[in-house]
Amino acid sequence: MPGIEYLLEALTPINILLALGGVIAGTVIGSLPGLTATMAVAVLVPITFTMPPASALILMGAIYTGAIYGGAYAAILLNTPGTPSAIATTFDGFPMAKRGDGDLAVTLACLASVVGGLVGAAFLLMLAPPLADVALAFGPVEYFWLAVFGLTLISALSEGNLLKGLIGACFGLLLACIGVAEISADIRFTFGSQTLLGGIETVSALIGLYCIPVLIDLVATPDKHLKVTHQPRGFRFLEALAISWKHKLNLLRSSVVGTLVGILPGAGGSIAGLVAYSEARRSSKRSEHFGKGEPEGIQATESANNATVGGGFIPTLVLGIPGTPPDAVILGALLIQGVRTGPNLFTSEGSIVFTFIYGLFLATILMLPIGLVIGRYAYKTIITVPKAMLVPTVAFMTMIGTYAIRNSTSDVVIMIVLGVVGWVLNRFGYSPSPIVLGLILGSIAEQGFVQAWTIGAATDDLVGMFFGRPISLAIIALILLSLFYPLIRARWLGTSRRKVRAD
Amino acid sequence: MLTDNNASPGGRDTGGMVVAVVFILLAALSLWDTTTMADADSYVFPRAIAIAMIVFSIVLIVGNLVRPVPDNGTVVEGASTPRRVGLVAAMLIGTALMPYVGFVLSGLVVFAAIMWFAMYDRWTRFRLIVYPLVGIAIVTGFYTIFAKVLLVPLPAGLLFD
Repeated sequence: MPGIEYLLEALTPINILLALGGVIAGTVIGSLPGLTATMAVAVLVPITFTMPPASALILMGAIYTGAIYGGAYAAILLNTPGTPSAIATTFDGFPMAKRGDGDLAVTLACLASVVGGLVGAAFLLMLAPPLADVALAFGPVEYFWLAVFGLTLISALSEGNLLKGLIGACFGLLLACIGVAEISADIRFTFGSQTLLGGIETVSALIGLYCIPVLIDLVATPDKHLKVTHQPRGFRFLEALAISWKHKLNLLRSSVVGTLVGILPGAGGSIAGLVAYSEARRSSKRSEHFGKGEPEGIQATESANNATVGGGFIPTLVLGIPGTPPDAVILGALLIQGVRTGPNLFTSEGSIVFTFIYGLFLATILMLPIGLVIGRYAYKTIITVPKAMLVPTVAFMTMIGTYAIRNSTSDVVIMIVLGVVGWVLNRFGYSPSPIVLGLILGSIAEQGFVQAWTIGAATDDLVGMFFGRPISLAIIALILLSLFYPLIRARWLGTSRRKVRAD
Repeated sequence: MLTDNNASPGGRDTGGMVVAVVFILLAALSLWDTTTMADADSYVFPRAIAIAMIVFSIVLIVGNLVRPVPDNGTVVEGASTPRRVGLVAAMLIGTALMPYVGFVLSGLVVFAAIMWFAMYDRWTRFRLIVYPLVGIAIVTGFYTIFAKVLLVPLPAGLLFD
């Protein structure tokens, strides 16, 4: 393990201040719907150009960590993922907030994010070079199967009607096809409209499908947005700590899943969160409570998405391939600083890399008090602000946030229209989550499928391409397990109950 | 209050079936659009998805006709439709106005309109003064953060060019 001198270098007052400022800025930016972690890092990157490389990296890492966590606030309190990484946080976070446990959900998310961030950073510190090879082992077909694995979550998110979930996912997958095709550059499903040429921007769609239906229902009745209990309950830190300790295995597993998915270039926090959520649900004794306000769901997503920070830095630093979109921005900033990433970075520029990694630990630890305080403030604001102020503020935030993504009013219109469509569909039992899942995983699935198909056809081994590679087979096994585990478990439980009765 | 939309238990999910028909039409339209694509790489995936969507929708409709299941959608009891329409209309009109009157002015119009629709308490003198002032502070505050700090080129509008 690298020496203590780097740790001490990371703990200089200026680095502590940078980590503190970075986490605060990142958390606030990430909590605003429409402003993603990538945007947070990109916007603040110019101020790092005059800093020493290690301090610059610490600041960027802190912003990134904070932004990923900040996405949880809007997900829990407004049912709108602040960043795409927090999609799965809405599944259980918002139901918890609705029933009056929003404060507990925010604290649970904070604890899980800290654990995930620390595990990701630990992997980065100790196993970066060997783990970077994992990134290279993933070809298009593995990405295709990974996307399919994410889609298996539909069965969990369909709320009682699998067929409606499947139809919704198909709708999302078709929405993902709108615009210019990535591989062949054909124009698809625009029907001559210039507005649709750029495709449906994922974050705008997320805001529309999740947030607009909430606003539509919020404005329609005088009821309170969230159930409020009148006795002061503070952070509910000990309660959250006890729950986290009880589900420590879930936290650790989800953190490792997040780190591994973070290593895969292009996969990112949203996939990590979805895969970890799916695994948590499959292995939980309370799987039937997932989607209805189960703390384990929040823990899985939040630990996994923060673990992608450390995981994503592994291919970025070792191979020069960005693991997640914010890593691409950080990589650019490093090149401007004159730092050449690559396999020799850990030996040739050890002082920069290891100081940064310890700085990442520092930022993640600082996220605990900062996250708890900001989270408490966000929760109190949401429950005390009158409806006549809350609804227009959130509506205005969705508009400005969506506009800022591509500087386009068309995106704002698409966001509102999708929101209305989502509300109507929900009214008839078509939940928005499978649509979002299809929309996010659509391009990854299609790209992986078409590339694998082309390679398979060229080598005259389609079956081998899709079903003959070891990592693919492992993911296929997980897909089958995820789909049929509830059935196997129910049958197994039925058999054991019958045995007990017979005895 | 949110409730399950199963007022008539054992009834048929007519709404769900109508939506399924709309999805079939949408998938058919998508299939037709794929015939204009030249490259197989472009149409293989969307065609497969459109066909799957048609199959799932047909299974849902037939299943409902053979063995009716109740509607599993959610409705909000005692909800005001005009306020809902007002919210969506205000957002759409505000967005349409943005390139002409600028972001700040359209934002203020949207904020004021939605505040009006979301108001269930009595408009006291305090509220009449404070709420609009807070609205102006929020809109201009966000505008300053986005336009001046984050350098997002928000529309200035024809009037202020």
